[in-house]
Amino acid sequence: MAAAVTSRLSAALCRQFQRVVTVSSFTQAHYAAQTISKFQSCQQRAPVYSRALHTSCVRKGLDEFFDLPENWGEPTVKSGAPWTAKQLRTKSNEDLHKLWYVLLKEKNMLLTIEQEAKRQCLQMPSPERVKKVERSMKRLDTVVQERADSLRLLQTGQEKARPGAWRKNVFGKTIWYKFREHPIPWHLNTRYKRKRFYEPLHVTPYTRLSLEKHLKSKVRKERREKRRHKELAEIFPKKTAVA
Amino acid sequence: MAKRIIYPIYQLGNPQMRFFRPPFTMTLVRPGKEQPPDTVQFRIPMEITKFDVRNYLETIYSVPVAAVRTRIQYCTNKKRNHLNQRVKRPDYKVAYVQLVFNWVQAQQQTFQFPDIFPETEKKYEEGTAEEMQEKFMEDERQRQKPDPRRGGVTEWFGL
Repeated sequence: MAAAVTSRLSAALCRQFQRVVTVSSFTQAHYAAQTISKFQSCQQRAPVYSRALHTSCVRKGLDEFFDLPENWGEPTVKSGAPWTAKQLRTKSNEDLHKLWYVLLKEKNMLLTIEQEAKRQCLQMPSPERVKKVERSMKRLDTVVQERADSLRLLQTGQEKARPGAWRKNVFGKTIWYKFREHPIPWHLNTRYKRKRFYEPLHVTPYTRLSLEKHLKSKVRKERREKRRHKELAEIFPKKTAVA
Repeated sequence: MAKRIIYPIYQLGNPQMRFFRPPFTMTLVRPGKEQPPDTVQFRIPMEITKFDVRNYLETIYSVPVAAVRTRIQYCTNKKRNHLNQRVKRPDYKVAYVQLVFNWVQAQQQTFQFPDIFPETEKKYEEGTAEEMQEKFMEDERQRQKPDPRRGGVTEWFGL
């Protein structure tokens, strides 16, 4: 009897708790909905203020792989000059990062048009745009590289991004050896230890000979050039331009 | 970055590799064989994987992707140049990207490659060589047509 009463009581309690829980969850959901609506209203309001900044509408999705529909079927499409390094140097890192993606999308679009034109055996409208975009991207890359280099020089004093050293190989030639990442230290790395970065004794006389050969060929080339200049001067005695 | 990418050796616990200026390009192509309406075909560089294609489309183009399949297209090695040496056409990778089912509108997202080179009426200026040629070709076409008074009867039949 007592057990039955307690069980009934506990069930009632549980039901009450459930109601509380559901109510609280409902209020939370309501609150969340409110905040979402507030957030949305903020979002909706935001473009009104920044409208003056935007010049082109945002096109999303796969349409960005194609040109604007009004340019379809046109024989020529007008385009501006590529970005110069001088212009890019005035931009901040953030702007450059954004610009890279703009250029990348443009390049994808142009490649799509080029491929489609090739498929239909037609001429691509204004094919010089591809080169322009490529040039801009290359310049942007150099500008970013310059910045990274200067920062590295300031912070670490290293001139090159990838460290290396002048070494001699087995044939006695001096080479710039670029260091590489290895998962294990060099004294455990048998493949690395197999490499020989020194001049073997039996190679020494030949390095001397190769140097001699190089110097001789250099002198011969200089002499040939001189002789050619002399002959040209005899044929064309009037000195109008420096040959 | 844009020249050659040296991937660092991955060691357990290292962070994922990030690209700040991805040099990879993707070309959207018209499928040669007919594809399902939700599939888009791309030509991608050899270095990219399926996961990269998905990340590329989702982050740069904000196109949700359901599935990506890739294959490598072998291109011909049969062409010969003027010195009779073999010339290899470069291989490329092809990616088939399936678009996500749109649950909001409860319909399948479809993609149809648009006609980006629509046929337009060409109008030549008077007196130019092209205009003359066009006129001549029109006359020739008119002359080639059979006589309508014969009512489709072949030329060899009749007196």
